[in-house]
Amino acid sequence: MNKKDVIGLASMPLQSPTYPRGPYKFFNRQYLVIRYKTEADAIRAHLPEPLEPAGDTVSVQWLDLPDGEGFGAYSAAAQIIPCTYKGEACNFVSQMYVDNTPPLAGGREIWGYPMKYGKAVLKVEGDTLKGTLHYASQEVATGTMVYKHDAFNKDHSAEQALLTRTQVTLKLIPDINGKPAIAQLVGINFTDVVIKGAWHGAARLELVPAVNCPLADLPVKQVIGGLQMVTDMTLPYGRVLHDYLVK
Amino acid sequence: MNVEQILQLPSMPAACPSYPMGPYRFINREFMIVTYETDRDLLRQVVPEPLEPNPDGHVLYEWIRMPDSSGFGDYTESGVVIPCLYNGEPVNFTAQMYLDDEPPISAGREIWGFPKKYALPKLEVCSDTLTGTLHYAGQLVAMGTMAFKHKEAPGGVEAQAQGMTRTSCNLKIIPDVDGSPKICQLVAYNLTDITVKGCWLSPARLHLIPHVNAPAADLPIKRIVGGKHFISDLTLPHGRVLFDYLKDA
Repeated sequence: MNKKDVIGLASMPLQSPTYPRGPYKFFNRQYLVIRYKTEADAIRAHLPEPLEPAGDTVSVQWLDLPDGEGFGAYSAAAQIIPCTYKGEACNFVSQMYVDNTPPLAGGREIWGYPMKYGKAVLKVEGDTLKGTLHYASQEVATGTMVYKHDAFNKDHSAEQALLTRTQVTLKLIPDINGKPAIAQLVGINFTDVVIKGAWHGAARLELVPAVNCPLADLPVKQVIGGLQMVTDMTLPYGRVLHDYLVK
Repeated sequence: MNVEQILQLPSMPAACPSYPMGPYRFINREFMIVTYETDRDLLRQVVPEPLEPNPDGHVLYEWIRMPDSSGFGDYTESGVVIPCLYNGEPVNFTAQMYLDDEPPISAGREIWGFPKKYALPKLEVCSDTLTGTLHYAGQLVAMGTMAFKHKEAPGGVEAQAQGMTRTSCNLKIIPDVDGSPKICQLVAYNLTDITVKGCWLSPARLHLIPHVNAPAADLPIKRIVGGKHFISDLTLPHGRVLFDYLKDA
């Protein structure tokens, strides 16, 4: 392969790039978001400067992604810390677990989504919307929510604001000599967000301490509630908010 | 978390880095390599310039068991390596790699540009046969079989250890957050502190099944050259840039 074609490759490997070029559109992307109060000191320890904490509430989310362009069908779980960047309300994506290489590698390499390989499952079981996460064969998170108890609320403006809020990631890529090549805060805004349904209700959350999947490092002091959403949305490229390597 | 702490992080996520800082030490790393001859024109298409494919049209199909890998854990890998020339020097180009463990996938891609994807490889002794399999997305895509320790390799463990010092190289591609290329390099590394505990040559066969996302079969098998089986301890250090496509191309 000649040098010009090499520069045109979307990703490794040359023979079968792991992910194509973006943006990436998702259909029927379903969320279970469980918001809870945790310890303010733990939030501060998890947030990279210059992000600032915004309250003591964080969330653990499950995502069922049955149709992600370029990525396929997979599931994810994430821990999100609301914060501010220069006064703007943002969501810092602190940890994320997926079971599929293209979003794992693309997520890390393009935007700096902090993804590891974990088995998340989001499904309806009887009367319960249930999210589970297994890491290295152990169940490390279990979330449960009542199923569509407020079926007649049609105002989704708050959910629209939540899904279009700027997501922030800490992108770290080493150089071949082990020194940092990229160390940036990245901002991402989903586009074309269509909410097909959104339901609030009672929820519970159990987090189990595990060293390589430490969601429980932000302990659950009090569960605020659950939010189920079904959406179509597009993940575009992002922008650099802050570059740690530029003085 | 302050700037100093952020710049000390070896990898994402900050809350639980996927991999620590290298180098990385491997104990009892077991290889099965089936060498075969393929179509020379196809080989040229999958080797990035300025590398030149070997004139014999040889390809190495590998399985590697790694039960004890510092920072990474216990995992198995399988993939395609193409002997090449870089400015006349023999090097091994890693074309495809499949493994069942996230830290070496992320570290491999992000540090050295190993072209790694998640899949389920297996290497085991099944009665009289050393057997390697690779499943990708639920389908068998490669199956290699080798007779078990029929003959010690000529030159023994010393010759094999010497051979393993050969330069390996990868095509490292990392996009920028706006989608443009940020890193596009041919990178090289050399294994160090190599101890080979045994090395055997035996008859082998290899079966590759076409699969779009694990396309080992795109380099078809014309003739099996032979099988090699060896066990070693070794260290994988950081590497160096051989060629920067964004600066030199």
